[in-house]
Amino acid sequence: MNNNLLISAKYKVLGWMLSLVFGLLGLLCLVYDFEFNFLSYNKDDLNGIFDNNNFTNEVALTGTIAGLLIIVFSKQKIEDEYISLLRLKSLQLSVFISYIAFIGINFCFYGLAFYDIIFYNSFTILIVFIITFQWKLFNLNKEGIKGEE
Amino acid sequence: MKNKLKIQRAILNITQAELAEKIEVSRQTINTIESGKYVPSTVLALKLAKIFNVSVESIFELEEGD
Repeated sequence: MNNNLLISAKYKVLGWMLSLVFGLLGLLCLVYDFEFNFLSYNKDDLNGIFDNNNFTNEVALTGTIAGLLIIVFSKQKIEDEYISLLRLKSLQLSVFISYIAFIGINFCFYGLAFYDIIFYNSFTILIVFIITFQWKLFNLNKEGIKGEE
Repeated sequence: MKNKLKIQRAILNITQAELAEKIEVSRQTINTIESGKYVPSTVLALKLAKIFNVSVESIFELEEGD
């Protein structure tokens, strides 16, 4: 069964590099209000299409999500039907956890804090998928070693 | 579902890895099928039958509750 959305396994390293570098940049933006000067612009020139003066955090978010997506969508070395099943199970779990978290957040956070937490929760599907999928692969390898004669 | 994959493999005297290579899956997948943890697709079952030169029914067998 072909899954056309999947990309070659060799991109996985690129995915990890992108998500780590841009994730770190994102953290710097959030914690220290870090900004690259070359990503600044005069907002009057753009007739108020964008509401800030710098694109550093937008670039960081785009890079992080792109990196995580590449990790999620890159194939395993041998991408067979059992791996597809593991992908499906991991995706189900990550969607489930993400929305359970969303319901929890809905009751626990109000005002601006709500939007902050919702922002972080937007990564949950991707991150939980990566963790669950890798964990299932790890267990599969472990069982495989035991079952080998 | 029960299967006689291990027996068929023993008859042909090939390892899990060799069988996996022949039908283009990972060795771990063969292991999960042998241990009954995973029921393969029809395509994979037919490929296995072809390798062992037997019918699919002589490798895979329904059991009560299926």
